[in-house]
Amino acid sequence: MDIRNLTVAFLALLGVIGIPCMAWATQVHAEPEGLYSHQLGHGFFVLSMGVLVYWLRGRRLIRDRGWRYLQYSALLFVLWNVDAIVVHYLENRDDLFMKFSQGTLHAFLQPYPGREWVTVLFYVCKMDHLLCVPAIIFLYLALRHMTRSPHRFSPQDDERP
Amino acid sequence: MTFPILPIFVVDLLGSALMIFFAGACVRLSYRLHVQDRENVLWIYLLMVSHALAIFAVSRGVGHIAKQLLLLGGYRDVWDALRPYSGSLNTISFCVVGAVTLFFERIWKVYQQILRDRRALRDAHESLVNLNKRLEDLVSERTAELARSEQKFRRIFETSLDMIAVVASDGTVLDMNPAGRKMLGVDGQNPRWGAGDERLSFGMFFARREEWDELKERLQREGSVTDAEVELVGRDGREISALLSAASQCDVSEKTEIFHFVAKDISQRKAMQQQLLQADKLASIGQLAAGVAHEINNPLGIILGYTQLLIREEPEGTERLEDLKTIEKHTRTCKTIVEDLLSFARRSHTKKEPASLHDIIHEVLSVVRHNLELRRIEVETRFEPEVPALVVDKAKLSQVFLNLIMNAQQAIGKDGRISIRTVLSDDRKHVRVSVSDTGTGIDPKHLPLIFDPFFTTKSPGEGTGLGLSVSYGIVKDHGGEIFVESEPGKGSVFTVLLPVTAEPLELGGRND
Repeated sequence: MDIRNLTVAFLALLGVIGIPCMAWATQVHAEPEGLYSHQLGHGFFVLSMGVLVYWLRGRRLIRDRGWRYLQYSALLFVLWNVDAIVVHYLENRDDLFMKFSQGTLHAFLQPYPGREWVTVLFYVCKMDHLLCVPAIIFLYLALRHMTRSPHRFSPQDDERP
Repeated sequence: MTFPILPIFVVDLLGSALMIFFAGACVRLSYRLHVQDRENVLWIYLLMVSHALAIFAVSRGVGHIAKQLLLLGGYRDVWDALRPYSGSLNTISFCVVGAVTLFFERIWKVYQQILRDRRALRDAHESLVNLNKRLEDLVSERTAELARSEQKFRRIFETSLDMIAVVASDGTVLDMNPAGRKMLGVDGQNPRWGAGDERLSFGMFFARREEWDELKERLQREGSVTDAEVELVGRDGREISALLSAASQCDVSEKTEIFHFVAKDISQRKAMQQQLLQADKLASIGQLAAGVAHEINNPLGIILGYTQLLIREEPEGTERLEDLKTIEKHTRTCKTIVEDLLSFARRSHTKKEPASLHDIIHEVLSVVRHNLELRRIEVETRFEPEVPALVVDKAKLSQVFLNLIMNAQQAIGKDGRISIRTVLSDDRKHVRVSVSDTGTGIDPKHLPLIFDPFFTTKSPGEGTGLGLSVSYGIVKDHGGEIFVESEPGKGSVFTVLLPVTAEPLELGGRND
């Protein structure tokens, strides 16, 4: 099956799974199910990226710059997922801060007394793109390096069974 | 303490845009990698991860941007409608990335196994190809060797002057070389050995069937037979004396026994041996006869002399005179026999001079012609004009031809034909005179005896049995040979072979 067929099948699967009902898995994740599945998804993502890092290191691929970039990307995705899990958790707490909207661009957060540090943590973590953008940039760099590298790793180079 | 939302807003918008951009770039690069090496499962993985991340980035980025813009525009209800889709898509996309990554490790191992198997298969294929090639080389080398060997043995088989035959245990001839076919008179018939109606049995060529049976039995018992003298009979009826060697071979695959025969035609050698024996015998007889004749000749001369003296003194008409004449007659007969014996033993005087063989034969014919005509015997002469004059004793050769013609006449009896033919050999060193008749022929059992002195098949008193032995002695005295071929009921051919000599020779035996 070539990549075009794979893409079509994948999109069809998304259509079937994504359309039928409201899962309430929104950015706010107010509904517990949606939030939990989303959080578990992040956890699954962390696990898979961890396995990837382990796999890359196990095969000593990280000696090559391209694969090293891929490792960095995976590590940054791990951090981003952890960050996202924290943000989603804190976002759904009502006892941390109040949100004031004086014109949308001038909105601000007001922590409840004693919740300042947690609010700071939420505020910093909320800017998760500071992790996921470098992660995808490293992925891009890894791919670019691989396209330019004369040696391309393939399974037959893997000495370990 | 307050925290403005604006930085979060800015980072969210810019970050989402960058995510979308780099996700697209990643898809492009991973696709390029995949195109460069479509079989590499790593690139397939990266391509899938890139696609999943791109979907995630687009879904999340577009969602975030749309959210901010819709909220800024006061369309919260629209955003509330879109929000579940965006969130679900985000969840699904990074679950897909996670799943692809986790399953990739297993796929990687499976793919490695496939590659190992493929490599093993390729190695096996290469070694098979190499083995096959070696085998082909070996086969072609062996085939060439076999062809050379086959050619060598085929040449020996085809060009051998002796018969080589391959015979099945039931006697069927499987193959026979040209010399064998020629020997047995099946040359040119090109029989399909061992097949169909043309199947030949080797046993049918044996003059005595029991010889073949005994030979087969010996072969089966001992495995080989060496130098067995057998009598074969060709298809044309010709008898062949052959020296035969044979060996048996078991064909394991066919579960049969095969005999290989090599036979040498020794007919000529045997004939020659026979002739030598005959010559030896005749020489011995000649010596004996000469001794006896020598001892008898003188007393006979005395008896004859005194008898003639007594006759001279005896008056005519007396009984005594008749008795003396009888003694004289028989004494003369004895003397003739003694002279014949001396001629046979080549002890008599021989005077050789150049003479025409044809004239000698004509003279003999003129003497006997009347006798032959009386018996209605036709005489046919075919003289080769190139026959030169030979140095011979005319009188003695006349006696030889007279003997041969008279013998022919007696063999024919009445109504027949005598052919006399002279031929100069190709090397011009010999003249062959053949006297053939259409008479009764000679019994084969008598053939070895006909040149023996006193051997005769005629009734007592008709012949002394010295004619042919005297002729033999005369021909031998001229350095020639005399042969006979005869077929009972059809006639005989006597052949005198005389050498052509340049100088007249005065050779002679002792004049006793």
